[in-house]
Amino acid sequence: MKYIEEFLKKEKPSGYYNKLLEELGGLNRKFGAFNFINKQISAGFPMSVKDNICVKGMETTASSKILKGYIPPFSATVIKRLEKEGFSILGKTNMDEFGFGSFGINSETPAKNPFDETRVAGGSSSGAAIATAILKYHVAVAESTGGSIAAPASFCGVVGFTPTYGLISRYGLIDYSNSLDKIGFMSRSSEDIRTLMGKSIGKDPADTTSVDAVLNNVSKQRLVIVDELYSKIDKNIKSSFDNTVKKLSSAGFKIEHLSIPEIDYSIPVYYIISMAEASTNLAKFTGFKYGLKVDDFSKGYNDFFTEAREAFGEEAKRKILLGTFIRGASVRSKYYEKALKIRRAIKDKMSSFLKDSFVISPTMPVIAPTIKEAQSFTPLQNYSMDLLTIPSNLCGFPSISLPSDYLNGLPVGIQITGGQFEDMGLVSFGEEWEKSFKYNFKYNLGDL
Amino acid sequence: MEDAEFDRLLKVCRLKVPAKQREKLKKDTDDILRYFDKISEVKCDDVDPAFHSIDIPGQYREDRQVKFEDVEGILKNTKTYRFFVIGPKI
Amino acid sequence: MKIGLEVHVALPTHSKLFCSCSTEDADQPNTNICPICMGFPGSKPSLNKEAVRIAKSVSKALNCKINQSISFVRKTYFYPDLPKSFQITQLAGSIGIGGEIKLSSSTVRIRRIQIEEDPARIIRESKYTLLDFNRSGIPLIEIVTDPDITSEDQLREFLSVLRSILYYIGVDIDKEMKADLNISLGENRVEIKNVTGIKNLIDASRYETKRQGEIIKSGRQPEKETRSYEEASQTTVSSREKETDEEYGYIYEPDLTDFSVSGLEIKEDVFDARQISREIADKYSLDYKTILELIALDKDALNLLKHGLEKTNLKPDLVLNALEAKKRFGNAVNEKSLVLLAGYIEKGIQIDREIIKKVENGIPPAEDVISDEKIDDSIEKELSSSPDLVERYKKNPKVVDFIVSTISKKYGIPQKKVAVRIKDILAKYIK
Repeated sequence: MKYIEEFLKKEKPSGYYNKLLEELGGLNRKFGAFNFINKQISAGFPMSVKDNICVKGMETTASSKILKGYIPPFSATVIKRLEKEGFSILGKTNMDEFGFGSFGINSETPAKNPFDETRVAGGSSSGAAIATAILKYHVAVAESTGGSIAAPASFCGVVGFTPTYGLISRYGLIDYSNSLDKIGFMSRSSEDIRTLMGKSIGKDPADTTSVDAVLNNVSKQRLVIVDELYSKIDKNIKSSFDNTVKKLSSAGFKIEHLSIPEIDYSIPVYYIISMAEASTNLAKFTGFKYGLKVDDFSKGYNDFFTEAREAFGEEAKRKILLGTFIRGASVRSKYYEKALKIRRAIKDKMSSFLKDSFVISPTMPVIAPTIKEAQSFTPLQNYSMDLLTIPSNLCGFPSISLPSDYLNGLPVGIQITGGQFEDMGLVSFGEEWEKSFKYNFKYNLGDL
Repeated sequence: MEDAEFDRLLKVCRLKVPAKQREKLKKDTDDILRYFDKISEVKCDDVDPAFHSIDIPGQYREDRQVKFEDVEGILKNTKTYRFFVIGPKI
Repeated sequence: MKIGLEVHVALPTHSKLFCSCSTEDADQPNTNICPICMGFPGSKPSLNKEAVRIAKSVSKALNCKINQSISFVRKTYFYPDLPKSFQITQLAGSIGIGGEIKLSSSTVRIRRIQIEEDPARIIRESKYTLLDFNRSGIPLIEIVTDPDITSEDQLREFLSVLRSILYYIGVDIDKEMKADLNISLGENRVEIKNVTGIKNLIDASRYETKRQGEIIKSGRQPEKETRSYEEASQTTVSSREKETDEEYGYIYEPDLTDFSVSGLEIKEDVFDARQISREIADKYSLDYKTILELIALDKDALNLLKHGLEKTNLKPDLVLNALEAKKRFGNAVNEKSLVLLAGYIEKGIQIDREIIKKVENGIPPAEDVISDEKIDDSIEKELSSSPDLVERYKKNPKVVDFIVSTISKKYGIPQKKVAVRIKDILAKYIK
């Protein structure tokens, strides 16, 4: 169903936006979807923006204390493009600090799953997924570095789309890992993703790494399951996934199992590259030009900066330490440079069999854990949760996460990965999927 | 990692953490580095590093001046004195 | 002694290296700024084509191999003037690699030429600093040499030759060049950071040579360290802890990609003022050093010299003399006025502002129409109206030169002509 088109056609009662804001305020306190709600919204299709994407004049913190009070004097290119097309900003959504997390709990207000508030919503684009799950007419502008769109989309039962790297300008995105960061979307239908892509992609002179490309509705009848990934999936998820695959098989898809031994290295490679880049991106936060301010200028600059940087959360500190260490001159070739080489090797390998097939897997290897469980994970346990989303993100390939099942009332998702610039093929796949599989939502705020 | 090396790393990062957090971060760092060491198994010396996942031809900007429209909006974020930005002592 | 340099030179572009802000001087601090040169979260760099084109020209002029595909790196360190806490600069993907500058009796190898962004201007106050980001993001090149300079004279020659080469490709570093000096007399390298201006560079190297020499004489080795130059006392002092290469933690700049430079046009005629001076000196039997001094930093002078030698019938030494006048009187001396001016010089008339004015107005030297009578009259007139001149001459006959030049100037008569008659007439007065 096309929610965007439907909304534009329908008559809105007077006071529609005020009523929406009122109801949203209440649910937001419960689930922690928004860091900031735009009370000024009075027209247009509601769009939420992940809080690491700059909107002129609207506080943008990436859920970090160190950015409290940062008012960007400019808007991200993607926001400018969508505002011109009739989308209006409903607010800035909660996230793991700077995008560092898979569960949405690395934030002052840990995000909660709208299907079960004792469970995580997924991350890092936690608020984007919650907002999509509770608002009927709404789309979310989110961002993924290693799976930050797919993971929360699958835990919250919405469609999450991560485009080919470079298709959407990153200008205005607060960087996590520049060579991996991709702005993308969440919505309640694949058709809405198609609409959003049509209005937002394309070269932006302000982002050198953005590209123009012709996107075709590539159709592929072959779906590949990667053994190394399949073997690491949780039991419950596996049986649900097997059912989904059966359905697809009887719908005419050819299913194939393949082994890609290199894929096992994608997690360390991903974390090495992203931490090395993140540790340089986080160096700029020093407590005087924007965001958090240290008062006492008479401290020497080293002490001054150190005081400001106490405001980083623990995962941010961990990434700074590790990232700084692994790009040090004496170990750079062992970690950083080696990781860049393996990235190419993995990408080349994946490209070769993506020529005539899509890759299919569950989006997450587990059902959404409880917040308590997630808080007890070690960093390495956390990182291993990204194993299914990392390969496509590492290679810059597009992927779509679609709700595929409900286990004990909790949504789970499948992830389809395509080759470079095969974005619309994935959207088409989603559109087909939605003809036979109906998504459930507990809330429909703003229904008409 | 030796204690002294970890403390030096903290200093290079301009980070200061309470003793308890320091212990935790140090242990995590050691564990994660050990995990990263796994990539040394891969043989790929003759592969070119992939700085980006896709090939993007660099596109230059022409040398033209464009004044930023909201200089005031920039300076509102910071503390100023006679149009200078105030920074910490050196 | 071994000296290596890292010379920083600002490139003459309209806009900054990674944003469209103006590079011109502003009346107020923080007016030519935007989110990019302020390093605001969310902003991204976009590379100025003209900066790369000029850097390519410099690389060519310094005989470097041009990297056809350039890339950038992040050099991370913390200082209040560095907006992103990393500087975008170049390493392996530098625009120029492995060049050289030939000096009169040695060669200084150029390791690489890299493009990078300037930090903000920082003013130290007692309890804080003041920052002006107008300078932040101005395009620079850093010219990194091997430690091939072995004496103060070579250092001096290197700096003036470099300045002249840069001048001739449109990079005028009259605004003071900034450089880091590496000096080692012993085993360890000492780096002196941020020395501004040729004079200070030479003074700093002189002091440092002496300092290290004394340490070695006493049987020890100078420490490997970073020092800074104190202009007031002409000394170097050990400076704040600087990050080491280990700590800079270079990574590829992921907001930029690789840029092809093959399409960027280079100015074909790279001038080597020394070579040209040598050729002219040999061909016209002129003094090489005088020519070099006149044209090293003055393209107009070179053009005028060529014009005078090739397009006029003037004697070469007259052309050179006229060019020396150009040094004092600037562009009033040009192709139009050259011949006329040379005429004055040939007739021995001292060139001053008044003569220049006459030349500019096209008035030829008056000598040929001055009759002998007029000369005598003028001399008589001057001597009779200034009896003190005669008195002074009586006491000291050398005063005659002064009298000649006074009369020459006052009555517009060439000195030679006055000199021929002066003694006879003076004799009358002494009687």
